[in-house]
Amino acid sequence: MSTAVLETENLVKVYGRGPAQFHALKGLTFEIHRGESVAIVGKSGSGKSTLMHLLALLDQPTSGVVALGGRPVSRLKPKAVSSLRNDTFGFVFQQFFLNPNQTVLDNVTLPLKIAGVGKSERNQRGIAALEQLEMADKAKNKATDLSGGQKQRACIARALINNPDVIFADEPTGNLDSATSETVEDILFTLHQEQGITLVVVTHDEDLAAKCQRRLMMQDGLIVEEQTGATPRPAQASAVSDRQQPENQTRRGRRLPFRRGGAK
Amino acid sequence: MRSVDVAKSAFGNTLRSKLRTFLTVIAIVIGGFTLTVTSGLSAGINQTVDDMLAGYGEEDQLFVMHASAMGMGEETGPGPQEYDPEVAQQSSEFGQAMLSEEDIETIADLDNVTNVEPIFFVSPDFLETSGGDQYTLETLDVPADGPAMELVAGDVPAREAMEITIPETWLTIYDADAEDYEDVDPQIALGETVEIGISNLVYEQETVEAEIVGVSAQNLAGIGGSPMPSYALNDELYEIQISGLDVEQPDAFIQAVADVDDLEANEQDIKDALADEGMVGLTLEDLLGIIQGVIDAIAWVLYGFALIALLAASFGIVNTLLMSVQERTREIGLMKALGMSSGKIFGLFSMEAVVIGLLGSVIGLAAGLAVGFTANALLTGGDGPLGGVGGLTLFALDPAALGLIAAVILVIAFAAGTLPAARAAKKDPIEALRHE
Repeated sequence: MSTAVLETENLVKVYGRGPAQFHALKGLTFEIHRGESVAIVGKSGSGKSTLMHLLALLDQPTSGVVALGGRPVSRLKPKAVSSLRNDTFGFVFQQFFLNPNQTVLDNVTLPLKIAGVGKSERNQRGIAALEQLEMADKAKNKATDLSGGQKQRACIARALINNPDVIFADEPTGNLDSATSETVEDILFTLHQEQGITLVVVTHDEDLAAKCQRRLMMQDGLIVEEQTGATPRPAQASAVSDRQQPENQTRRGRRLPFRRGGAK
Repeated sequence: MRSVDVAKSAFGNTLRSKLRTFLTVIAIVIGGFTLTVTSGLSAGINQTVDDMLAGYGEEDQLFVMHASAMGMGEETGPGPQEYDPEVAQQSSEFGQAMLSEEDIETIADLDNVTNVEPIFFVSPDFLETSGGDQYTLETLDVPADGPAMELVAGDVPAREAMEITIPETWLTIYDADAEDYEDVDPQIALGETVEIGISNLVYEQETVEAEIVGVSAQNLAGIGGSPMPSYALNDELYEIQISGLDVEQPDAFIQAVADVDDLEANEQDIKDALADEGMVGLTLEDLLGIIQGVIDAIAWVLYGFALIALLAASFGIVNTLLMSVQERTREIGLMKALGMSSGKIFGLFSMEAVVIGLLGSVIGLAAGLAVGFTANALLTGGDGPLGGVGGLTLFALDPAALGLIAAVILVIAFAAGTLPAARAAKKDPIEALRHE
């Protein structure tokens, strides 16, 4: 088994005080391994978003520990946590959060701008990331000119640009139609497999969750069930990976399998 | 985030909502414009006064007046005053306290005073050219003003010679074809002989001959607006003016000019000594300082208004940026989620305030300078209403003041930006991303 990239120990998050107190997370202990794909599944109010925020260091737990690469992060200064997020994480959001006034390229290179990378290197890496996602021709377009699928691909390019260890995807297909969703899912899982990026997906979409190697089922702030093994849809099952969990993993034959033009 | 990227992003962001930025900037422009015009005006007048002082040169002179003439005498109160025949005789037609012969002697006896020239006003009747043309001549400048006179040609009359200067507006006398005195070469008047007619106490006219040696332009203090005789000519005219009656009347003078050895070193001593005698001594610098003081007072009032305008504008910045922070909540959340520190968020938004301030100060200063120099050219140019005032500069460039104005605006803008910037920096990324 490979090392854990993210670990939690007795993670508790409580909102509010007194009688209005709400226990969003009631003591979670688990690990996410390097190169793994994990789905956090649950209905709204189950605590899955809270958990993702804690894992992504966007929020502090009421008690318990989050460790990144074996190092607890609770005691780091906010500035150090910020730069850790910038270095190691990529984010894909349901609502995209693209800045409509800026070009696609500017949106995609935002993490590098925040990291303090120079403009020429930023643009070079931005174009490379967009090329990887078949979006290079849209680099100079305004973000508002894109279709939903294109927006999400731009978001994925943005999440990739700093070569993250972990990509957090919060309902990445929530705003997309089913054909587009499939393309975006394919892109995410291909990146996960070919670049070894750890993928943490928060979703209530069973189909998306089923493609992950491991699923943490959440209910009322607790992990009520843990499933392992991807359950591929029959049409896409073609080969078996020899990576971390070889028994059940799908593998796509092409290096860039999302050339189908489904993301419109 | 690099500083250059922060600056670029801030600049880009302020241009996103152009109308709103424009309106906010206008408020700052008004303040900056007022400050610029005021500082230019103050610099221009002060430059004019300094030029006049520089023209005055080394002359170590002190203008002496009766203390009460300067409002510095004993407080007598509003009630009836006891009659004192000596004092009563020494009042001018305007009721102004005058200097007596005795006072002049007192001044002359002071240490370091080398010479005292009492100043008296003569009222001649006419000036006649060698061609026989006569022109009304009601007032003459006093010879003591000579050193402060702005000359466009020739020299100040020599003390002992029968000489006179004429103002440049009189040049048309010597060139009847010229439509405007400015078209006349002032040199043609030099060396011309004129006769000055004056009446004595029993209205008998006499004339005195004098040579034109200089052509003057009227300056800010009014000097040079009338012909100015030499001391000798002035004395001669005065003698005629008070002759005709077989009565001895005491001489009284509005003021006297005392020549002082090393004025800089002895100025205070002599002023103190004069004060003991109920007189006031003023240097030319003091006299012009009164003008400067008035201009400075006006300038400070205008500065005050401009600063109030800037204060109002700063609330415009606060308002604009608070709106901007509110509108861009999700963007702020995203930047924080992607690892931008609170400090950099603060920097980004306060930089936007500074950019607004910078736009306002650049436009305001440029507009102020443009209007100032244009108004100066129009007003003090040949055809302008103040064109006849020699050596007058209404508006001058003062780089230090402009730098200070820009700095003040930027500091105010930055201060105004801190509240919205702090609010942006404090936003919780999760809350911000959820914001609709």
